[in-house]
Amino acid sequence: MALLRVENLSVGYKSKHGLIHAVNNISFSIEKGRSLGFVGESGCGKTTLGMTLMGLLPENASILQGDIFFNDDNLAGFNDEKWRTFRGKEISMIFQAAMNALNPVIRVDEQIAEVIAIHNPQMPRTQVFDQVKKIFDLVEIPEDRLRDFPHQYSGGMKQRAIIAMALACAPKLIIADEPTTALDVIVQDQILKEIKKIQTALNTSLIFISHDIAVVADVCRDICVMYGGQIVEKGNREEVFQSPRHPYTRSLLESFLTLDSNGDIKVPEIRESPDLITITGGCSFAASCKKKCEKCENRNPGWVNLSSTHQALCFEEVIHKD
Amino acid sequence: MTEEQNNQTPIIELNGVTKEYSSKKNFLSKGEASIIALNNISLAIQKKEIFGLVGQSGSGKTTIGRILVKLEEPTKGIIKLNGKPTNNLKGRLLKNYRSKVQMIFQDPYQSLNPHLSIAETIIEPLVVNRIGNTATRREKVIETLEIVGLSPGQEFFHRYPHQLSGGQRQRVAVARAIILDPEFIVADEPTSMMDATIAIQLFQLLLDIRKKFKMTFLFITHNLAAAKYLCDRIAVINNGVIVETGIADKVIKNPQNAYTKKLILAQPGFNFKN
Repeated sequence: MALLRVENLSVGYKSKHGLIHAVNNISFSIEKGRSLGFVGESGCGKTTLGMTLMGLLPENASILQGDIFFNDDNLAGFNDEKWRTFRGKEISMIFQAAMNALNPVIRVDEQIAEVIAIHNPQMPRTQVFDQVKKIFDLVEIPEDRLRDFPHQYSGGMKQRAIIAMALACAPKLIIADEPTTALDVIVQDQILKEIKKIQTALNTSLIFISHDIAVVADVCRDICVMYGGQIVEKGNREEVFQSPRHPYTRSLLESFLTLDSNGDIKVPEIRESPDLITITGGCSFAASCKKKCEKCENRNPGWVNLSSTHQALCFEEVIHKD
Repeated sequence: MTEEQNNQTPIIELNGVTKEYSSKKNFLSKGEASIIALNNISLAIQKKEIFGLVGQSGSGKTTIGRILVKLEEPTKGIIKLNGKPTNNLKGRLLKNYRSKVQMIFQDPYQSLNPHLSIAETIIEPLVVNRIGNTATRREKVIETLEIVGLSPGQEFFHRYPHQLSGGQRQRVAVARAIILDPEFIVADEPTSMMDATIAIQLFQLLLDIRKKFKMTFLFITHNLAAAKYLCDRIAVINNGVIVETGIADKVIKNPQNAYTKKLILAQPGFNFKN
């Protein structure tokens, strides 16, 4: 049985212009010990999805429909109190801006200890700090830096401390939202290796959210590509990145710079971001799609099966048109 | 680079530039510790070149950019613009230098004043340098907006930064940098906050501007793939020292220095062996 199963989930934000459908009818599941990557550009709904799975949606946002099954619980129906006992223990998050995610006036070990103590109120204090030591060992922060304040850490070390905090209660699922975006390539490389090592060692499940497709390809075995609040293509990383079939995934890869890319890079047209307020019929990518046909604008595309694991949200005739 | 270019006077030249920052250990003691941010840097950038400066956080690459636009003075060494030394310029000469050397900053969310409209932001360099009158300035702003791909220009004229996307804001920053028709532009990680597709559109814009106006760029980045795409030559900098310089493609294909190799290995790619 899947550890996490999301079914027909939609999340909306109230705004003065109307309801913004940030996440629109998405379904996926993740097994124990697997890694699932979500890629997409700003505004595609990937961070909203992560926040929904952590029960951290802001006041003006709500789940419009759908279920989030985690083992036997349905997280979509959780109230604040239930979330408080659940969050950090079963599912935890590695946040984007490590610089801001730590409290500047509390020593780092105290901050990690707090997470453990809250979820294990009976645990003696010495045992809590033993646990903290073990976790710091795991993320390779030397023991003599335990009592430091956050400002004494470098950017990479702060990010390690954030990872330590996420691991504190041995969660079954970790959600990492752009954990390396603010770091330079060398530190990014170290942190990604760290995340992969820990995920394998502890056999936790990982949801990794990023706009950088090369980073996601590096960390995750399974990939979901998001556009306009929907998943438009999913499959394992070889399928999605080596033989992408959705026109959006293709355009993303065509314009992505790597060290091997030569003159074959295509500069995409400047495109309007999709309208998430008035959801009319039709494919959300139709306006920018090079392969669109008449029905793309009027009818909603369905899932086209490309292999037992690889699917694209498109029309058969569009996918096979070359 | 061809022989002919080699013989020209470089547009920008750094000669043995060193920058030290002194930091007082605490406010009571007089002891000072100094940090060497740049150590004996020599560089020459030719006209119409896009020169890449690649390194990780803390390597000193941004300090070079800041020295070139005169936000900092070097502790030692000479900076030449078109063969003329420019150290310690003051008054009108400094203003004149700054109109020739412009900068595009990293974060377009912080480098634009939220109280100024797009028009006011871009017009400011013209006002400061007393160029044109109200009518010609307006015309020039609209023309520049269209050059940077914000067209029709009238539509963006009265907007404010919060009404623009990150990519559009960075285009406004480019417009502000090019409106005085400078000779040299320092672009400090201009796309590090952007999605890949928006970044590549901005690179295309910089390439177009170079071609159209024969401008020269220093492109500061930690992303080797971006440097390879955009730059003619690159210099790799580590701990304030330039460790390798050469034609971008060659340095990346055949790196000589251990640090350059380390940077290349750290670059995420699409190898699925792990």
